[in-house]
Amino acid sequence: MAEVHVIGQIIGASGFSESSLFCKWGIHTGAAWKLLSGVQVGQTQVDTPQIGEMAYWSHPIDLHFATKGLQGWPRLHFQVWSQDSFGRCQLAGYGFCHVPSSPGTHQLACPTWRPLGSWQEQLARAFVGGGPQLLHGDTIYSGADRYRLHTAAGGTVHLEISLLLRHFDRYGVEC
Amino acid sequence: MMTASPSVFLLMVNGQVESAQFPEYDDLFCKYCFVYGQDWVPTAGLEEGISQITSKSQDVRQALVWNLPIDVTFKSTNPYGWPQIVLSVYGPDVFGNDVVRGYGAVHVPFSPGRHKRTIPMFVPESTSILQKFTSWFMGRRPEYTDPKVVAQGEGREVTRVRSQGFVTLLFNVVTKDMRKLGYDTGPADTQGVSGPSPPQGFPQ
Repeated sequence: MAEVHVIGQIIGASGFSESSLFCKWGIHTGAAWKLLSGVQVGQTQVDTPQIGEMAYWSHPIDLHFATKGLQGWPRLHFQVWSQDSFGRCQLAGYGFCHVPSSPGTHQLACPTWRPLGSWQEQLARAFVGGGPQLLHGDTIYSGADRYRLHTAAGGTVHLEISLLLRHFDRYGVEC
Repeated sequence: MMTASPSVFLLMVNGQVESAQFPEYDDLFCKYCFVYGQDWVPTAGLEEGISQITSKSQDVRQALVWNLPIDVTFKSTNPYGWPQIVLSVYGPDVFGNDVVRGYGAVHVPFSPGRHKRTIPMFVPESTSILQKFTSWFMGRRPEYTDPKVVAQGEGREVTRVRSQGFVTLLFNVVTKDMRKLGYDTGPADTQGVSGPSPPQGFPQ
């Protein structure tokens, strides 16, 4: 079986209007993939930047997959939340990106979006906070049923991911 | 004589902790250590180090330079648990006690060649305003009991931190027998890094 190592960091996020941010992340793979070592979901620390406006998490990712097929290549998905001084959390954006498919180190910038509600909900969000959230988390990385959503752009999540492949040439796979 | 096919690969890392940018703090020293998985064993070199105390230069660059050498070799059977370097930066507060000014971590680069990495440094925040004042007064700021926590993902979801500086590192990486074991690390991503250089403002 071919093996894939995904090793890197979720560096941080920029371009969000809120400043104390954290991120819940996860990796979703198809049925042919099996996770051998590593943690597939996680949540970063909450960072309040003192210099500039980019929030830095430096959250390490170290995953070891074994795969029998190319379908279902791993996808990283994120939910970026902001936390205020009272400890209340508000959604800032959803985003996903595929893990790169060529070996080496890659800098990824993943755009995010958040659902807009009706004008009443948008007004309430501006004053009181809160706002609509997705009921099913898998809408973030799947294309089904998106036509019902009306969203606005959030900021960008920055990652540095290195990919190490093993035995791909034995199966004739070029990447 | 036929050489047996290898079962371990080697990773040799050398380089330096070059410099730092902390606009609000001065007179800093740093400590580094390596964190790695269970399949990794250091075979040569130093796993930990402490630098000298450096002050900001008087010119317009306001540079904090350590130039602290790193030299370590690991052997392993499995890339899982790839080594990370964990940096802790300390400096004096108003009363003269050494308090932590930042923690940061980054994986040792994968592909052979020369690499430059600038990493953000963050400190844990006090949970309440009273604790903030008490810790400022007593000189005992919130710090991690073991800096190696910074290299892990688990258990960080309850921590609040403040990022307040950057540290620049240079690495040269050499690997042995990774290709023979079937691993493909891709092209070297050096992009023409020219070598040690003074810090030039904040990275974007």
